[in-house]
Amino acid sequence: MSLTHLNQRGEAHMVDVADKAESRREATASGFIQMKPETLALLNEGGLPKGDVLATARIAGIQAAKRTHDLIPLCHALPLSKVAIDFHLDEANCRVEVIATCRLNGRTGVEMEALTAVSVACLTLYDMCKAVDKDMEIGAIHVDAKRGGKSGDYQRQTSVTAAPIVTGEGAAGEVSVGSRCDTDSPCVRVKFLAELRERLGVSELTLPLDTLPSTDVGGLKSALLKRDARFARLGEGRVLCAVNQVMALDATPITNDDEVAFFPPVTGG
Amino acid sequence: MIRVQQAAFDAGSEQRQLLEGRTDIGAVVSFTGLVRDFNERPDVNALTLEHYPGMTEVALGEIVAEAESRWPLQGVRLIHRVGRLAPGDPIVLVVVASAHRRAAFEACDFIMDYLKTRAPFWKKEHSITGDYWVAERESDHRDASRWESDNDKIP
Repeated sequence: MSLTHLNQRGEAHMVDVADKAESRREATASGFIQMKPETLALLNEGGLPKGDVLATARIAGIQAAKRTHDLIPLCHALPLSKVAIDFHLDEANCRVEVIATCRLNGRTGVEMEALTAVSVACLTLYDMCKAVDKDMEIGAIHVDAKRGGKSGDYQRQTSVTAAPIVTGEGAAGEVSVGSRCDTDSPCVRVKFLAELRERLGVSELTLPLDTLPSTDVGGLKSALLKRDARFARLGEGRVLCAVNQVMALDATPITNDDEVAFFPPVTGG
Repeated sequence: MIRVQQAAFDAGSEQRQLLEGRTDIGAVVSFTGLVRDFNERPDVNALTLEHYPGMTEVALGEIVAEAESRWPLQGVRLIHRVGRLAPGDPIVLVVVASAHRRAAFEACDFIMDYLKTRAPFWKKEHSITGDYWVAERESDHRDASRWESDNDKIP
């Protein structure tokens, strides 16, 4: 593997592509700009002072793709045959996703053009919205896919570890970061998963260990019930329990900083 | 190898990878579970699979280890997807390799039966008439209990 933009002496140079065969090249890149829910709502309703935000950002992205060679030192000027910019308003995560696709029949790839289009469209979104929200953040700009050319097709793999699906507040599929117990006061961390979470309206909580009448799962259930009557559901029907991710029964002991999860019967596969 | 992932998988390529460079394997059985557009209600548009990260991987590992202790297996690949899936999407893949077909068939069947009753996954179906969590099935427990009696054990 070598860097094509460096010559044998390690100096930057523009790759001579005159002898490369022309082929259909396409690249898709994406990124997002995170904003306050109110800002996203204004953007959606067209209520921002600078006017039609998305239309402006789209033109900016297209223009930027065409001028990528002005910005990136060793990029070739390319006669792009297509630049498309799409926006996806993600209300759940309070962000606008920007997706750019560039295409041409030529001798070099177009991923730099797609990345530039996404970047400049995001910058334009910032500019158009900054009057009402200065905390906006641009992130995760990356190539999703490219086709054609010597190095072949590329498809970005979504990271396996990035997003475990579990137990968010509210919507299924959100990620929950487990809380830690304060070392000074022993406690137990309790999680409620899947349908049980939705029915109870709570994803996780911590309970001081000394509020448990007995330091086992049965004692935890009693303490929860004392705290709120809705936890009576833990005693109804089939509710399963795991202590530190191992299946447990009412008699299973609990100690400081244990993670106890309650969940319905499993339905995978 | 066990994987829990959002991304789709290619059953063919997983099987090829499992078999690559091996000439001692005489049988390979592959099972792929798919999202149906009807289940408890008709017109299911999508389903969301939730799991319990950490425990899921351990539970799947134990199921595969149990299968390996019951049958002479030469390789197992188990992939389960999580997140939002559409009808026709693959959910789960089990590929089992052995010297002989009987062990491969039975171990694959066993792994799916145990997975459905022991691994912490939950399905929520999104249908035209609303969203609901899928209930456990008595038949899944009956299927899994087939493997519990000592008489059923295959060497």
